Amino acid sequence: MNKPVAWWGMMMLVAAELTLFGALIGTYFYLRFSVSPWPPDGIAKPSLLVPIVLAAVLVASVVPLRLGTRLGVAVALVMQAGYFAFAVHEFADGLRSFTPQSDAYGSIYYVLLGADHAHVAVGLLFDLWLLVRYRSLAARVITIYWIAVVVATLAVTGTILSAAA
Amino acid sequence: MAVAVLERQWVARPGLLGWLTTTDHKRIGLLYFWTTLVLFGAGGVEALTMRTQLVQPNEHLVGPETYDQLFTLHGITMIFFFIIPMSTGAFGNYLIPLMIGARDMAFPRMNALSFWVFLGSGIFLYASLAAGSAPDAGWFDYVPLASRAFSPGRNIDFYALALILNGLSSTLAAANFIVTILKLRAPGMSLNRMPLFCFAFLAASFGLLFALPALTADCIFLFLDRRVGTHFFDVAHGGSALLWQNLFWIFGHPEVYILIVPAFGIATSIIPAFTQRRVVAFPLVAIAELLVVFIGFGVWAHHMFATGLPTTTLIFFAAASALVIIPSTIQVFAWCLTMVSGAAQFKTPLLFIVGFILFFVIGGLTGIMFVAIPFDQQTTDTYFVIAHFHYIIFGAAVFPIFGGMYYWFPKLTGRMYFELPGQISFWIIFVGTNVLFFPMHIVGLDGMPRRVYTYPANLGWGTYNLVETIGGYITLAGILMLFGNLVVSYFSGERASHDPWHGPTLEWTTASPPPVYNFAVIPAVRSAYPNWDAPRSTKPLTLDVGHQQPVTSVDDAVLGEIAVMPHESPWPILLALGLTVVCALLVVEKYAVAGIALGLCGVVLAAWHWQAVE
Repeated sequence: MNKPVAWWGMMMLVAAELTLFGALIGTYFYLRFSVSPWPPDGIAKPSLLVPIVLAAVLVASVVPLRLGTRLGVAVALVMQAGYFAFAVHEFADGLRSFTPQSDAYGSIYYVLLGADHAHVAVGLLFDLWLLVRYRSLAARVITIYWIAVVVATLAVTGTILSAAA
Repeated sequence: MAVAVLERQWVARPGLLGWLTTTDHKRIGLLYFWTTLVLFGAGGVEALTMRTQLVQPNEHLVGPETYDQLFTLHGITMIFFFIIPMSTGAFGNYLIPLMIGARDMAFPRMNALSFWVFLGSGIFLYASLAAGSAPDAGWFDYVPLASRAFSPGRNIDFYALALILNGLSSTLAAANFIVTILKLRAPGMSLNRMPLFCFAFLAASFGLLFALPALTADCIFLFLDRRVGTHFFDVAHGGSALLWQNLFWIFGHPEVYILIVPAFGIATSIIPAFTQRRVVAFPLVAIAELLVVFIGFGVWAHHMFATGLPTTTLIFFAAASALVIIPSTIQVFAWCLTMVSGAAQFKTPLLFIVGFILFFVIGGLTGIMFVAIPFDQQTTDTYFVIAHFHYIIFGAAVFPIFGGMYYWFPKLTGRMYFELPGQISFWIIFVGTNVLFFPMHIVGLDGMPRRVYTYPANLGWGTYNLVETIGGYITLAGILMLFGNLVVSYFSGERASHDPWHGPTLEWTTASPPPVYNFAVIPAVRSAYPNWDAPRSTKPLTLDVGHQQPVTSVDDAVLGEIAVMPHESPWPILLALGLTVVCALLVVEKYAVAGIALGLCGVVLAAWHWQAVE
């Protein structure tokens, strides 16, 4: 109840962004339940291992962030940048077997992942900003942003992987 | 002494540059006011052109293509570019900090950003008209009509991008209102002492924050489908046309309540002032305002009763829709009982509120009729629906805006409006509105479909349409009289005291027009009607070192820290310009340049925060 104004501001941003992911994930299942089989014929089921390991790395990156020091931010940045590089590689790799233009599965698959990766990219810029101009309140609200991105990533990963079942 | 110090510290930069870089919530409120007024004029011209086209059968003032653009622009303009920005942007911005005893919004520069982005989205939308390709698939823009196969032009691309940009502006404003209302209330203004106006705007802001992402996602899908070749709405490739409708109305129905809830807020401000009594059932009304928006998130499919959804789904959504009756009725009874049991003085603002209650009840009654699924299916896309939602959106949502203009006119200008012409303007608009919209019920039940640019003579709709068009021009005359009154009053009205109505809330405790810093002494609040409380000497909280603002706790408004607010920044307008340019580049398919422009927006954002206040 006595949180600073900046904390509340970030909570508002995060609430709107997570609602956006809610709409995207809702779309995924809305399309899924009207298309059979899912994924459609000719598209391989998503592999489980790599996305789960990647998501775990992103979850772990919150720990150094929560230290609330410049060093913690630097460690988190390395982990998150590593995650981002792998994730973008996976994304590009996937485009070789099916694309957003293939069918509705491809469309929502790539938009969902793309939205998530874009949020990670913005978070990386926040980290860089903190390294240049570190302030404890800024570090605190950017940590909130990252926790929300982690939640979104877990939800997106779970949604995408649900097609493997 | 302290006032002189405050004046020096809060003085605005003079001239045009002062307006372009302003972060003063009152100036931003006025910018919103003038901009939305221009857009209201545009939406009005569109409406009257349509009414003139329909005045008799087989009229040829405009052709079908133009007519499609007219009704689409009219709907988008009135909803996204008039009512929402007028109520939240203009009224909310100007009044909420004053009502809660604050000196500015919680995020003053973000407030400026939301206005400039709004202005950018408005210019962008109307640029489509200049380019000859205004949106033309209706304000709810159903696919597949709006898909590339059936709308190959740029019309729908303008629609998608304008609404994304407008949604960004509204989201920023909503976040700002929520934090302002929760954190910047004067010490002592616990939640149960907060004006009902603020409860209403809090509810509307939460509605915007959680409803807009669905529309944004929908518009992104639409743009990708049309430009990139994805298949979200393409049934042949596993997509779903109903997906558009679902996402649109998940946003669209909360939106309807977001339009009306600020009107509730204005009504609950005007009624106590002109009855000189406290609002009956204050806590119930506060809860009802929040509940209306909350229920609004669970009723969207009642816009889709004619799309072949399963019966169980229809019944669920019909029942949920009927629930809205409860909080609506609580408020109607509370308003009426307050007026009946107080010494009601029917001056112009209160007349508009009485008109609002009548329209809200009539429009509400036809609304209840739609809960009966077979009736809804029978009247879908007829003029009966048009009649229903214009009673609500024009009668119930806009009348309090007119009433509010009269009510707060002395506060904004320091002058009184002319009472008798004010009352006459009310009666003209009231009669005009009924003449305009009531026959639409009949002609709708008679089967006249909406969105037809003309109709044959042998169906017997001609007389009704003639009457409606006459009503439209009567309404126009009344509105012109209203604004004429305000303009003349601005120059030659009687000087108003700081509190001509003996209003209950804090904005009436400060000068008219309010000084830049709003309150020389931060008010100490002991009830929900602080201006009616007996003065009690407390240690004054002056805060005259820099742009200082007390920050209080969310629930009991216990004084926490003293924050220093930022002021005057060139970055919000530059960022808004950049975002508008990005949209313009996207619409003309210059994607790489748009990417560069977006990068520049990032640079502007960085520059904005480089010298943030410590």
